[in-house]
Order: sequence, then C-alpha cells, then structure tokens
Amino acid sequence: MLRTEALSLSYDDVPVISDLDLELPCGRVTAIIGPNGCGKSTLLRALARLMPPASGRVTLNGEDINRIPPKRLARQLAILPQTLRAPDGIRVSDLVMRGRIPWRTFLSPWNEADKTACEAALEAVGMTGFADRELSELSGGQRQRAWLSLVLAQQTPCLLLDEPTTYLDLTHQMDVLALLRRQNRQSGQTIVSVLHDLNLAARYSDNLVLLANGQVVASGAPEQVLTPDNLLSAFDLEARVIPDPVTGTPMVVPLEPAEPVLSAGV
Amino acid sequence: MKGYVPLSLLIFLATSAALLTGQVDASPGVLWSGLVTGEGPGALILDTIRGPRVATALGAGAVLGMSGALFQMLFRNPLASPDILGFNAGAGLAIIAGIAFGIAMPTAVMAALGGVAMALVIGGLAFRGGGGTPVLTIILIGIGAGFTATAVSTFLMTILPGTTASEAQRWLTGSLAARDWSHAAQVLGIGAMLASLALGQARILSALELGDGLAAGLGQRPEAARWWLSATGVLLAATGVAVAGPVPFVALMAGPLGMRLTGALTSAGRMVSGAGAGALVLVLSDLLARVAVPGLQLPAGVATGLLGAPYLLWRLSREMERGDL
Repeated sequence: MLRTEALSLSYDDVPVISDLDLELPCGRVTAIIGPNGCGKSTLLRALARLMPPASGRVTLNGEDINRIPPKRLARQLAILPQTLRAPDGIRVSDLVMRGRIPWRTFLSPWNEADKTACEAALEAVGMTGFADRELSELSGGQRQRAWLSLVLAQQTPCLLLDEPTTYLDLTHQMDVLALLRRQNRQSGQTIVSVLHDLNLAARYSDNLVLLANGQVVASGAPEQVLTPDNLLSAFDLEARVIPDPVTGTPMVVPLEPAEPVLSAGV
Repeated sequence: MKGYVPLSLLIFLATSAALLTGQVDASPGVLWSGLVTGEGPGALILDTIRGPRVATALGAGAVLGMSGALFQMLFRNPLASPDILGFNAGAGLAIIAGIAFGIAMPTAVMAALGGVAMALVIGGLAFRGGGGTPVLTIILIGIGAGFTATAVSTFLMTILPGTTASEAQRWLTGSLAARDWSHAAQVLGIGAMLASLALGQARILSALELGDGLAAGLGQRPEAARWWLSATGVLLAATGVAVAGPVPFVALMAGPLGMRLTGALTSAGRMVSGAGAGALVLVLSDLLARVAVPGLQLPAGVATGLLGAPYLLWRLSREMERGDL
C-alpha cells in the first residue's frame, strides 16, 4: 500500500503539492488526473522517490520510502518516467534485461529467474518476436511496449507510470492502457499512472485521483470522481457526464463555453 | 564472444607487425626462436628493443580506450572522452610540474593527482545547483581547461634545463620511446585493477544510460554513481598518461571503433571493446610514427593526432547535422 502523509512538494521553494494525504489502493489500477500544472507528475515523482518531500512523507506498506535502501525499494516499486532516451543501437532484448538490475548482486551470473522474468515481460507486452530488433527501428507504439517490458521485468508489486500514453495515437494509447489493466488482472500488480485523457482514464482504471492546485479534489471510483461539479472545480470546465455507450463508464462531454475563451481578452 | 574475434585478430596482427618492423626488421622466424630460446637477435628485440615498448603501448592504449568508452556512455555523448574533457592534459601538467619542481613522486601518482584535480576543477566550473548541466557545456569547459593545462605545461618547460625540456616536450606529445618493462608492468598492473573496478560498475552504468529517473527506479543513486564512475575513468586515463604521455585522440576514437568492430551493446562489452580498440590504435600509431619517416622516430602522439584530428572533425560535423551541437 502506497500512501502520502501530509506530503508537501516544491520546486525551488515554489509549492506544488501541499499537505497531501492520499492512499493508493493495492492491487488496483489507479489513474492520477488533473489539469496541466496541477502537480500530478510531481506527485508521481515523489511517490517513486525521484524527488524528496519538502515536508511529510511517502510510505510503502507503512515504511518511509526515503528510509528503504534503493535496491530494496527497486524490487518493490518500479517507475517509468515520461521522457525516455535509449542508448544508440540498443536492442529490445538488452533493454528488457536492464529491468533485472535491482535483482542482481555483484558478480552474480544471469540466472534462470532473470531469464524467465524477461521472457514473461516480453510476452506480456507482445514483443517476444521483436527481442532482436533495434529499438530505433520500431514504431512509437512498439517502442513504448518495449519500455514497458523493462519495468515489467523488474517484477515489482507496484508500478508507477508518468503519462505512458503521451506521443501515441488513440489506438496505441488504448493498447497500452489495456495491456496495463491485463497485467494488473493477471498478476495483481498495483498500477498507478498519470493520464491526460479523462475518458480513457475512466475506462481503464478502477480508481481515479483528481488533482487541482496541488490538492485532491476527489478520489475513488470513476463514477464518483468524474462528476460535473468536480470537473467544474478542477478544470473550470462545464461538462455533462454520460455513460460511455460502449463500456458504461463515465464519459465527459464538454459543453460549448458560453463565451469563446479566445475572445475573452480582446 | 564471437564478435571479439576480428578485434583480437587485428590486435594480434598489429602487435606482430610492431615487433617485426623497425630500424632493423626481424623475420618471424628470428622472433620465434628468440621467444623460445631466449637468445639471439630475436630475444634482444623482444626483451629490450621493441617488446617493452609494444607492451606499454598495448596497456596504455587499453586504459585510455576503456576510459573513453566509459565517459562516452556516462555522458551519452561521443565527444566526451578524457582527452577532449582535458583530464589527460591535467595529468600531463601534473607530471611536468613534478619534474619542474623536483617533486619526488612516481609519475603514476602525479598523473592520477593531476587527472583527479582537473576533473574536480571542471566539475566545479560546470556545477549548477540541482545538477543538470548540459553535457556540451561540460565538454566545452573541459576543452578550455585542457588548453589551459597544456599552456601551463609549455610554460613550465621554459624553466627546465635544455635536455630535460626537450625530453619533456617529447613526452608531452605522447611518446613511447625508451619504455622498459617497468613501464609496461605499471600500466598493465594498475590498468588491470582499475579495469576490474570499471567492469564492476558496468551494471550501474547501464542503468544510468537510461536516464536518471529510470536509473533511480532501478535502485541506483545517480549522483553518487556518476562520481564513482568518473573517478574510475579519470584514474584509467591517468594510468595511460603516466607511461605514454597525454597522447591525443586514442580515448576519443577507441569507444566507437571498438563498438563498430565487435558489435558490443552492453556497457561491459563496450568498455572491453574500447580497451581493445585503444590498444590497437596506439600500437599502430606508434608503429606508424616509428617507420613513417626513415631515420626519424616521431612520437606516437603525432600519429594519433594525424588519425584523430580528421575523426574529430568528421564527428563534429555529424553531431551538427544531427542537431546535437
């Protein structure tokens, strides 16, 4: 169980998140949503210990993550950052192998468990046939799946992803989100991602956390979070919420702004 | 492992050629009988004339090449190598200063101190609160610091007596003349220790290559790891400089050349390939410098300069085309 206790985060003394108490349920798919600049990526970075808290703390199963040795934490919590850069010429097989780094000890040989983990990860993302391909030869969607195989090979109970669908077209966005949900259903892995698209987030998540101005506006099941009132207060957006005709999950349909936003300042 | 066969073969051929060729050419038969019996002209060549020199070139080239591959991976930039970053010039300056001021310390220690001091100066100049100095900035600071160190070395030579100065000048260009087995043993012994230290950090390096966020997620401490890797790389380069002088461009060329020859992609594989390619380049350069002008033995650094300068220009133009510069 990952939770924040009175967590405050700031960049150069500019507060981004203040006094946040949040609980991310185990074994579920959670999406953190909210307007640009609401602090959702910052929060995710702090959950993964990529950023130290200004005050408060993040705990994993009751333990302050800043007190867990890095290698032990890396066996419990994986993070896929938003911007990814691979070394020139790297192949998918080499990329997925690097996900095993936390499990290896000094001079330990590559063992059966490492091999199985990598094979399972490639299988889970449907990239088994692409193991020998160079990452740079792949399409955007395939490349993202290759990166996912790296963090899956890490075999952590908890996986954090910072906007894993950015730069992808709609089909591949759904592809990645469906893959993550399938992974959760099959292995029980806790999945927490920062997402932009509200309707996709509602469709593929068990749980939503809506942030605005560094505060939680609402959290819980998609139906409880995506309400016209919450959308108005978080996004300043007038919208109707109707059941998605395909899945029945809430779907946000924005209303026409009474006055076009662009002409407001003229 | 199969990928290493061509590189190993090339190193073997270059080494053989370097042992056979010189003011007095030897036939393979003469060398062989010298090797087996320990007597005759072959033994003299292997033992005294060319053997130590070639062994020193192999060792110095290997440590420089491994250092180059390490820094190129660490900074994710093909221009980041100890020669371009000014570490070699720093190590060279420390040795010249040692001669000029009569500091009685082994050259290896002076070179290591100079290299580390240079790295600290460049690190200090490039430091920005919160990290994240662009690699290109670090490289430019390194080039500037390297020029400064070279200028100070040149100045220090003016206060040396004539014969010492000309020897120092030769050495500053990067020279393998008059090396004996103690030089070879020094570079190979210290080099082997540092190489195992570097290879021990290969896994950390392969995490860092994926960016700080992912590296931290994989259980590394990126800041601390970068310092340890840099220290290892600086010491590797200084070990080479201590016996061969600040030979230019070997470290710069070795990483990409080794990777091209072996196809290695893992961090450890690329470091080993870089070491092999460095050894190859320095042995061939030394051979070229010895035989290019009959009757005149040029320092090896002249040959690596002639090979390396066009490579650097090509690399710069390529980086500019890709928009990385």
